[in-house]
Amino acid sequence: MENKNKYWKGLEELNNDPKFLEQKRNEFAEGIPLEEVLTEQDGELTSNRRDFLKYFGFSISAVALAACNKTPVKNAIPYIVKPENVTPGIPNWYASTCGACAAACSILVKTREGRPIKIEGNDQSPLFQGGVCATGHASILGLYDNERFQGPKANGNDVDWNTLDAKITAALGSAKNIRIISGTINSPTTKKAIAEFTAKYPSAKHITYEAVSNAAMIQANAKAFGKAVVPGYNFDKANVIVSFGADFLGTWISPVEYTKQWVKNRRLTEGKTSMSRHIQFESTLSLTGSNADVRIPIKPNAEGVALISLYNKIASMAGAPALPAPQNIEFAANMIENTAKELWNAKANSIVVSGSNNLDNQLLVNAINSLLGNIGNTIDLDNISNQKYSEDGAFESFVNDLSNGAVDAVIFYNSNPVYSYYNSKKLEDALKKASVSISTNESPDETSSLCKFNAPDNHYLESWNDAEPRSGYYGLTQPTISPVFKTRQAQESFLKWSGNDTDYYTYLKNNWQSALLGGSDQAWNKALHDGFHTVAAKASQSYKMASLPAEAVNPAYQAYTATKDKIELKLYTKVGMGDGTHANNPWLQELPDPISKATWDNYAAIGKATADKLNLKDGDVVKISFKGGSIENLPVLIQPGQASGVVAVALGYGRNSGGKVAKYVGKNAYPATSFNGSTFRYANADVTIEKTGDDYKIAHTQTHHTIEGRNLIREASLKEYIKDPKAGNHFDAHIISLWSERDSKGHKWGMAIDMNACTGCGACVVSCNAENNVPVVGRKEILRGREMHWIRIDRYYRFKDKDGRSATREKNFAGSALSKPNEALIDNSVDSTTDFENVAVQFQPVMCQQCGHAPCETVCPVLATVHSSEGLNHMAYNRCVGTRYCANNCPFKVRRFNWFKYRANDDFDFYMNNDLGRMVINPDVTVRSRGVMEKCSFCIQRIQAGKLMAKLENRVVKDGDIKMACQQSCPSNAIVFGDMNDPNSEISKLFKNERSYTMLEEYNVQASVKYLTKIRNVDDAIAGEYKSKGHDGEHKEHNEKAHQKAEHHS
Amino acid sequence: MRPNHCYHSISQYLNNQIVTMKFLKITSLLALFSFSVSLAFADAAEGEKLFTANCTSCHAINEKVVGPALKDVHKRRDAKWLVQWIRNSQAMVKAGDPVAVQVYKENNEAMMNSFENLSDAQINSIIDYIKAESEKPAAAATASVAGSSTTSDGGMAAPAEDGFYNNTTFIALSIMALILFVIVFVLMRIKKTVQEIYDNKFPEAAAAEKGPVVDVRTTWRYKLFTKHPVVGTIVVILGFTIVLGIYGFDYGNKKVGVQKGYAPAQPINYSHELHAGKYKINCLYCHSGADKSKQATIPSASTCMNCHMHVTASAKYNGQVSPEIAKIYDAVGWDTEKKAYDPNKPQKPIKWVRIHNLPDLAYFNHAQHVKIGKVECQACHGPIEKMAVVAQQSSLQMGWCINCHREAKVDVANNDYYEKLHANLKAEGKSYVTVANAGGLECGKCHY
Repeated sequence: MENKNKYWKGLEELNNDPKFLEQKRNEFAEGIPLEEVLTEQDGELTSNRRDFLKYFGFSISAVALAACNKTPVKNAIPYIVKPENVTPGIPNWYASTCGACAAACSILVKTREGRPIKIEGNDQSPLFQGGVCATGHASILGLYDNERFQGPKANGNDVDWNTLDAKITAALGSAKNIRIISGTINSPTTKKAIAEFTAKYPSAKHITYEAVSNAAMIQANAKAFGKAVVPGYNFDKANVIVSFGADFLGTWISPVEYTKQWVKNRRLTEGKTSMSRHIQFESTLSLTGSNADVRIPIKPNAEGVALISLYNKIASMAGAPALPAPQNIEFAANMIENTAKELWNAKANSIVVSGSNNLDNQLLVNAINSLLGNIGNTIDLDNISNQKYSEDGAFESFVNDLSNGAVDAVIFYNSNPVYSYYNSKKLEDALKKASVSISTNESPDETSSLCKFNAPDNHYLESWNDAEPRSGYYGLTQPTISPVFKTRQAQESFLKWSGNDTDYYTYLKNNWQSALLGGSDQAWNKALHDGFHTVAAKASQSYKMASLPAEAVNPAYQAYTATKDKIELKLYTKVGMGDGTHANNPWLQELPDPISKATWDNYAAIGKATADKLNLKDGDVVKISFKGGSIENLPVLIQPGQASGVVAVALGYGRNSGGKVAKYVGKNAYPATSFNGSTFRYANADVTIEKTGDDYKIAHTQTHHTIEGRNLIREASLKEYIKDPKAGNHFDAHIISLWSERDSKGHKWGMAIDMNACTGCGACVVSCNAENNVPVVGRKEILRGREMHWIRIDRYYRFKDKDGRSATREKNFAGSALSKPNEALIDNSVDSTTDFENVAVQFQPVMCQQCGHAPCETVCPVLATVHSSEGLNHMAYNRCVGTRYCANNCPFKVRRFNWFKYRANDDFDFYMNNDLGRMVINPDVTVRSRGVMEKCSFCIQRIQAGKLMAKLENRVVKDGDIKMACQQSCPSNAIVFGDMNDPNSEISKLFKNERSYTMLEEYNVQASVKYLTKIRNVDDAIAGEYKSKGHDGEHKEHNEKAHQKAEHHS
Repeated sequence: MRPNHCYHSISQYLNNQIVTMKFLKITSLLALFSFSVSLAFADAAEGEKLFTANCTSCHAINEKVVGPALKDVHKRRDAKWLVQWIRNSQAMVKAGDPVAVQVYKENNEAMMNSFENLSDAQINSIIDYIKAESEKPAAAATASVAGSSTTSDGGMAAPAEDGFYNNTTFIALSIMALILFVIVFVLMRIKKTVQEIYDNKFPEAAAAEKGPVVDVRTTWRYKLFTKHPVVGTIVVILGFTIVLGIYGFDYGNKKVGVQKGYAPAQPINYSHELHAGKYKINCLYCHSGADKSKQATIPSASTCMNCHMHVTASAKYNGQVSPEIAKIYDAVGWDTEKKAYDPNKPQKPIKWVRIHNLPDLAYFNHAQHVKIGKVECQACHGPIEKMAVVAQQSSLQMGWCINCHREAKVDVANNDYYEKLHANLKAEGKSYVTVANAGGLECGKCHY
């Protein structure tokens, strides 16, 4: 094989850990849990022959008795008055706006028999273009959460709304100083309702508080350009993207919108030969960093000096005055200088962003963008983003006012600061002093359970609302179900308390009619139908920063030198879990982190060199102490790609209230945040790590279902691709077949996945869970390797090989040998060829490959899995007897076995264990029971529905009619599905693309899923020279070596 | 000879001409006649279709349903008036047409639906149909329709389980068998006792009759049970197992989970025989989902009220509302006095008992079968128009589904979807497509 790069999924695999080697020989991580079934307690086997006979006899008689049971009588209860548009069996779709976070993506909600069951992207939306993130997909479970408040409460007792309103109005009337605390509100009508409230109670002030704040950016824009806003970002207009720790593809402000923009210049289909260049400076490996062409690991406190150096390098090229820096800090491979050159070459068409909540850093970013002339093109200060807003200072003074009694009444509008505020004890004590405390939070959480009055808000799928995520783009939220519990829209509550009895629907409609639609009913209906309304964008102007942020220089250098040799704590948010609002969502808890593939936990992520230095290994439990507190009992996870001297912990875990799923999962890292006088800080410069001596297993899926180093990932650099579109994808193994060829007369379904577009975000995984009733199994089962996800995203690491090739440090840029970062904590005893800081990451979504010559089919003794005339590999659950031979024989390891009955089972107390939670189940897909195998079906229910629609409309199936759940949700449109027998379909074109390949081509299983080679915009050669001859010998040699190595270790 | 011949030929010619002309005349007349007849039939046939689709929910020929009986309506009313009335009766009432107002009042001011979408020709065809039906004697009309609706039924309508093998005969046979066993036992005891007495009385004679003593060790019973008791036991158990196994398999296969014949009592004694049979209401009027959705759908109570707002069957109950119809009123909160919905009355959903229970693991879509496959309702549900109480007619077992999928032909000609598939199969020399050819036997078509 010409691709000599070594790919590895985890350190176990890389180091050939004996346990891992043993595990990979066994198909299933653990055997059949017979002991568990037969023992009363874990540990010794207490059953004996007599017990066996007893159980045997009992089960026979039980079966005999059960067989005598009469079939239960089932009722069919029709509507009394059938709504005109609802026909049982036919889904209804509603255009709405996602309320999972303030990004406010436009969505479509699928309802069946009146209950919402699936969220999909609204592909007509010009802003979001039909993508939904993992959190958005999962937010539907929140609707069916039976731990939500079921009605209003006063002092912990259930009351009715009238009583509550009377009590609250009286209490607010006598309050002398009121505060409303909420997250980002980008709904114009909600703002109006709050304004009505503050008009009625003149002491009332509205403070926006975000658990993970971006106040620094807003302050910086106010200071630099006189606009306290988050600008609209246009990543699609940028040829060079430089990000300093901003995870804009994963968690930063509006990831779906930015992914759609970013991917536009990353896609290479239809003959394109240019790509944007993406450089990421960051301290821990983020989703965005893993998709960057060049990635420079730096410590959080080095960001300021890096920005200053970058500014000065660009300024010297532009002939502008430089910042008075004591020295210019340069990173490995002259990275700052190279970045400056690239940015300057792409001036006005480049973008620099920072995820830091440090005002100085954001000012420096503004200065750089201003110097490059990006503002007005890639950064739009006229059409701004309303998706994230935070007033850190105002919140800080609110806490002080509350504790000293200056504020005596507070309303928490869907905000949970008692959990996320760094000094939650202070806030808790202060809150107890308040004479009036009201919460509209949906569930009993850390904050709402301390409040005197609970006026629970509806779930957003039960609500009317609007949103203005970006200037001129208005989204409408419409209810898709009537409220499940006796909850009420918070806006309606605000209106009621301010003496306005209008229901919120009328209020919203009137507001739109007067402000946006010019009173036209038709326009309102259209907006309701589309789910959004746009007004023409303003012309975006160029802004120049008036003065240089010279005041930022000294603090940056001080911070850098003071903490250079210390371990820094970096707090970040995970894709899916975010700031912890959705911690009670089992789909999100079980979604593997895109990078670490860990589920159900947060952990202390540490780089390999630092861990070696501190004598830490995977699974060691540590205590992280910092000034003013500590995070106890965190397990260590060795994270390749992480900057040395940094320990990273995810926020959003360690809830001690908020639902049975959320509780006690992971550890709360918010106490490690701090307030620096103007903004909250999510990095702590000086921490110590102590081992507690305990051991804790992190349930990660990274090395489950491993594929033993075969040639699954194909990639090439852009230069190689331009020279040879087939670069990295040459394959000339001898193909033989044991079976006769199959012939599909009608359709032949296939899927293509563009690895250039796939960011690994995991939206498809949750979308698939929702569509296909995939059960949640919990941490314990994942530790046993029994996750049920039908689609997984394999993540591979690669670092520079012996020839010095690297995806992240480019030696021809440096012109000399790579220089090691000048940091004291690097352990130089580590083999220099294994530089764990510099890894390149590849993502590969893997689902059933629907092989034409499927190995699983030939081994099934009961013909439960058979081939269809449409090229699909069918799985008949009720035929399956659970031999698991098919899973053994599947080369892609995509089959999942139901070890237990995951529904209505108290051992798996997730949404499928209660009546309300089961409402989310898709009625078109069987809920599998214990003892059967399952796997991706290519959403066969969607294929059948698409065909039926075509037949009913007397036409052929059009390309694009049928969309898989994973495809529909993909924020980067990486997945294409269609009929291979249709020569004009998109899939047929992609299958002919030079970049397309199937995994394990040499097996000739004729997979129906093809991947497109990943092309990186780097200078290095990745694929290497293609020589068609002699690869056999090499291959053999390589195999022998691998074999010897494996033997040696075992 | 020649003229003669000529004459002959001419006369023959003329003769032929006349015959031909006569023939032509007659045939053309015949053709014209048959054409007009067929035209009339076509009208009536078209009319029948339209009538069942649009009118039967409120009207019958010989009986008053919601609207009046339509027998001889063409004689009672002017043709033009009828067309106008059918198209939009309310407009006529509002315009103050005296006849229209009178009809409206006579029928409890029940508003008749307007049919603006029907053309004059279509309305006339309905009237033609009514005309044709009115001329038939009442009983014959019903029979012919009942007959026509079951023609497609084919072999599916298996006789109900009232033959020889029902429970009563089984019990009777068991009792008789038991009595026979007792008689045999008693007779054998008697025989044995007599033998013993005989042996005691005449030992020599008895010994002589018995012949030489047989060595017990040579008998198969001894060999099997005394010498090899384990083998013997196994053989007996095996025998039992086989017999019981065959019975059990058969029972399991044909009975367990099979609810053929299931005819539960419903909360309302609704009769399909009356509605679908006698009044010929189109199936899709109530089961409106059958041609577009997975579910055929059970009609909402408001659908019942479309007719039962007016139809109370009070004639049968001494002027009182029929107790069964009263149940609908109770469910929807209808005030019989005020003839209006009473918002203060609670609405109570009707809990019908589900008869056809397909297991969750099988996906069945009505639209696919009714609309695309054009399968008659009766093919699976049996002669529903004759059922006063609905019983499950088919076993709903997989074999039953598969049999039909093997045989049923797909109407490829009239659906563009099948175009390519049909072309491919034709290339293979197959003249028609069955569901099985189109992949209808594959697991994943129903199980996912």
